[in-house]
Amino acid sequence: MTSYSSRGFFNAAYHDSETLEMDRRSGTKPPHTNPYAREEPVRWGGRLGGRDEAAWGATDGGLQDESRRGRDHITTGAGAPPFPHQPYHNRFQADNRYNQRPQARLPSLVSDNMTMRLRGIAMRRMSMFPHASPADVDLTENAIREEMENDEQNLMKELVSMSTLEQTRAIRELTMSFEAKKRIRNKVLAFRSVKKSHEFTWFAELSENTSLFFRRCGYTMRSARQALELWHGIMKEIGGKFGSSVLTYFMFLKWLLLFNIFSFVVNFSFITVPLLVYDPNITSSVSFRGLELLTGAGYFTHTVMYYGAYSNETLKHGVEYNLQLAYFFTIAVYMVLCGIALIFSMASSFKKNFVLVDPASTSAWQLLCSWDFSVTSEKTVTQRKNNLRVQLKESLSEKAQQELLTVPEKLKHFGIHFCSWLVSTALVVGCAASIFFLCQYEGKLFSQWGPGAASLQQEAETLLVPFMVSLMNLVIPLFFSLFNKLEHYSNNRSQIYTLVVRNVFLRMSILGVLCYYWMNEVSLRSPSQCWESMVGQALYRLVIVDFFFQMLGSFFGEFLRNVIGTKLHRRLGPPEFDVARNVLDLIYAQTLAWIGIYFSPLLPSIQILKFFILFYLKKVSLTQNCQPPRRTGRAAQMQTIFIFLLFFPFFVGAISIVGYTSWSLNPSQNCGPFRGLNQAFSVVEIWIEGLHILPGSGWAVWIYKNIIRSEIFYFLITLIILGVTYVFYQLIQGRKELIGLLKQRIINEGKDKSFLLDKIQNLQSSRPKKDTRQSKDGRSSHQPSLGGHSDAVRQALLARQQAEQEEATYSDGVSVPADISTSSALMQAMLARQRAERETEDLYQRVEDPPSSFTALSLAMEARQRAEGEMLQDNSREGDFYENPTTASSAVSQAIQARLRAEEEASASSAMMQVMKARQQAEQEAGMQWTDVQLQNPAVSSSSAVAQAMQARLRAEEELPASSVMMQVMQARQQAEQEAGMEWAHVQPQNPAAAGSSALIQAMLARQQAQNEYDDGY
Amino acid sequence: MGNKQTIFTDEQLDAYQDCTFFTRKEILRLHGRYHELAPHLVPMDYTTEPDCKIPLALIVNMPELKENPFRNRIVESFSEDGMGNLSFNEFVDMFSVLSETAPRELKAIYAFKIYDFNVDNFLCKEDLEKTLNRLTKEELTPEEVDLVCEKTIEEADLDGDSKLSFADFENMITRAPDFLSTFHIRI
Repeated sequence: MTSYSSRGFFNAAYHDSETLEMDRRSGTKPPHTNPYAREEPVRWGGRLGGRDEAAWGATDGGLQDESRRGRDHITTGAGAPPFPHQPYHNRFQADNRYNQRPQARLPSLVSDNMTMRLRGIAMRRMSMFPHASPADVDLTENAIREEMENDEQNLMKELVSMSTLEQTRAIRELTMSFEAKKRIRNKVLAFRSVKKSHEFTWFAELSENTSLFFRRCGYTMRSARQALELWHGIMKEIGGKFGSSVLTYFMFLKWLLLFNIFSFVVNFSFITVPLLVYDPNITSSVSFRGLELLTGAGYFTHTVMYYGAYSNETLKHGVEYNLQLAYFFTIAVYMVLCGIALIFSMASSFKKNFVLVDPASTSAWQLLCSWDFSVTSEKTVTQRKNNLRVQLKESLSEKAQQELLTVPEKLKHFGIHFCSWLVSTALVVGCAASIFFLCQYEGKLFSQWGPGAASLQQEAETLLVPFMVSLMNLVIPLFFSLFNKLEHYSNNRSQIYTLVVRNVFLRMSILGVLCYYWMNEVSLRSPSQCWESMVGQALYRLVIVDFFFQMLGSFFGEFLRNVIGTKLHRRLGPPEFDVARNVLDLIYAQTLAWIGIYFSPLLPSIQILKFFILFYLKKVSLTQNCQPPRRTGRAAQMQTIFIFLLFFPFFVGAISIVGYTSWSLNPSQNCGPFRGLNQAFSVVEIWIEGLHILPGSGWAVWIYKNIIRSEIFYFLITLIILGVTYVFYQLIQGRKELIGLLKQRIINEGKDKSFLLDKIQNLQSSRPKKDTRQSKDGRSSHQPSLGGHSDAVRQALLARQQAEQEEATYSDGVSVPADISTSSALMQAMLARQRAERETEDLYQRVEDPPSSFTALSLAMEARQRAEGEMLQDNSREGDFYENPTTASSAVSQAIQARLRAEEEASASSAMMQVMKARQQAEQEAGMQWTDVQLQNPAVSSSSAVAQAMQARLRAEEELPASSVMMQVMQARQQAEQEAGMEWAHVQPQNPAAAGSSALIQAMLARQQAQNEYDDGY
Repeated sequence: MGNKQTIFTDEQLDAYQDCTFFTRKEILRLHGRYHELAPHLVPMDYTTEPDCKIPLALIVNMPELKENPFRNRIVESFSEDGMGNLSFNEFVDMFSVLSETAPRELKAIYAFKIYDFNVDNFLCKEDLEKTLNRLTKEELTPEEVDLVCEKTIEEADLDGDSKLSFADFENMITRAPDFLSTFHIRI
């Protein structure tokens, strides 16, 4: 045993260090106490437990510190990453904290746990800038580990400072595996309880319990809501078979159904129930005949179904309940709530689906975003694949052609468009006019009726108008689709939009004419009869007949078409489900219900039934008759447009009609809640006057007089809204401009990057020639260049270290003139690197040439391997190993041996300390030895130089045979990272992610290149 | 689930609810599904967190994944060992990311992983070709595949390195609102 090799173990200073205390035991659990161990369930059993604690020691320590000393301390643990190449003992002690962590440098210690975390955090970082690839992990484990711990601690800090709700959300959205999330969650919870325990204990417990209780309540609510969620299985099936674009129809249907259920509950409980309680004997004078179910007249006329049956009295059962007010306010509040709900869903849908839509990228979209992961049926998958293929081919051929239309062709297209618009407008106008005349004719018929009950035939005649309306709604869109086929739209979307616009136009004009007729003719014509009830009946008929026509539509449109397509005209194939048309039908039906809510408060109940049946009907029709749509249009945008349509012409139209009716029209004098009043709105006026008597209600009166009834208020509100809208519009424009600029910036960055890469490539391709020349004539100066080589390596390392430190201080936010120092360090590092590169290349060539140095190297390697093997076999055989004659390698092997021991003991971070120390010492001694041996044996000295370089590298990375090339890689990375740091700091205000990412990409590229060179070198 | 046997403790379920996008009921349902895949491997009682993994071959046979052209990649992306063996936690993770409520960023990260066949953190042409072949039953000619991939890169590549980094991909995703609804597997 040589004296220096054992020095490490008999060194008093070494023994004094606290780390050894931990190391004297072997095989016991590391004494590092995890303050939260009790919080963590038994999930890391036995062996894993040690790893876990070692891996998380640093974080735990940091947290513990934090809990003890306050938040600002948490950063110090990971703030400055010191370079472990420290020959001074005291300095080494100062680095204890750092050295507690580095279990990751031992490959065998990289447990699943570890890689998982790497993945988690690497992924999280990837969301900021793409950096670490799994292959990269091996190389930069050191760097990543540091960063990771930083990340981890920052994350914990962030999480701890959040409120419980935010915390849960943030944890849930972390891009880590569940295990990692759970661990973080446990830590955060534990930390919180520790923090709380410094306060009053019982209070802490109480608040802990309450928060837990509320959390559980929240989850129970969520589960309950899910249980209430209708048709989960059916939705899944439809989504699986037909994809999400068809599914939007069913989602929409369900959404409307919920709307109607809500309105039914509101109306029923606030209007109908009080009336029924007050006067349960509202019976019709007419007997039930069955046809009423269709016409809504006869038996139903005087029931709570319609406006006419409601009373204008005030109920007095202990509390006063004014039915007039109830009727008015229920409807008003319902309408307002509907409006708000629509606006919100529209806004959220718009925000999600429209904000950044870029129509330019089609093939990227088709390739990477269009595949529907929810599709599960084999047939559909095959079909989708076919469709996608066809679409891609089409888009390719379109791109290939890109022909410009000639003037006559343009004119022709324009002519066709114009004609089809003209014809469709004429159709719409014709429909509207015919409906109007039909209504007038019907009105004449009605007026011929006696005051008594109508005969069956007369009652059936009332179905004429709704029948015609629904027929038009069914037939005219077919014409529109026909026109659409004739017109040649260049793009699919404008084709769909035209179709939608025409259909909306048709329905709106029909509804407009009907409303005009009701408002202006029905309401004036028969003051004796209850005109509101008549309008209610008309709406009821429309709703019912529309339902039948929708059923017919799916029968003819889908079933017959399917039969034709599959049996007669094979070429046609089964029909596709037309989402746009079906959704428009739904919108139309819902508008009828909204208009009708004033005239027939229980109309939503009919609507609920209708939608419920329709859902199953459409589902059956869809699965039996249809094939998945060929064009997978952008369903999300269509959905937004549908919600918008539902809101804009239809809901706004409905609310204005209801508003007009209650503000301006005379209610019937003999029936309904508003009998005897000039307008329905007068109810509020009377109520406010009544309020004068009550004390303490002055504010309500004031609000009514000065806000509700004042034009100035509305004028001001309008002005303010216009102003705000304008400001937002300007903001949007500004943002758009900014987005454009940023995009340009990214493109510029890319160009810069490629330019720099070219430069680097040029530089590196020109260098090897020079080197070979050098090595040819530099054979005589063999020895000095070897020394120079190791010096260069060392210098490079030192420079790197310096740069790292500077970077650390820089990142700590200390206002050093960091730019200058970093860049100078960088320069130095680069210079050193170049030199090292050159010399390592020389060395390589030489290593291949003179067998002596090569054997020395291999000897060292061999010795190391042997040492490893021996260490694995038996620790007690250390002595044999020390007698190994190769002195240089024994220094190395000592370090490795110590390291191996640490590997075996695996869990103890303290062992790492020892390893570090041993290595440190070994290195020093190796250095000494090297100077001794250099003169005697150049081969050994070269091997020791290599060994030293390897050791230096070992500190940072795993062992790979080609130390010199790897060094180069490291340097390149280092450089790039620094550049990234600097660049980042520069660019941060404008666009941090882009700059950082480009620099890192550069690093990656440099690395790859180095690796290539390394391959070539072999 | 119907039986009275405890599968998870309350604490476990709380942790699942805190860390995933699922409710207690869905977690139990997922456990049922997981158990179904390999009844002899997976115990019913999960209170002790048994360490068992189901191999890829069994998982890709789930009806939800069976027809998916990327099924192997999906499972591999979520498996710890990269070979496609999933523990129950990873299984939950997978469906949590693919659930409706998962945020766009999370989905984008995993979608990127799924499309990144050679795991080099870039969608290079090779990856895109593989994607395309899976999506079109390999019926396009090599020239067409080439063209489409080039176009894709041209459209989505912002920094001009002729491959798609995650930033490029995410940027494209934010412009494709459908992504949220299509990158979704109902369980």
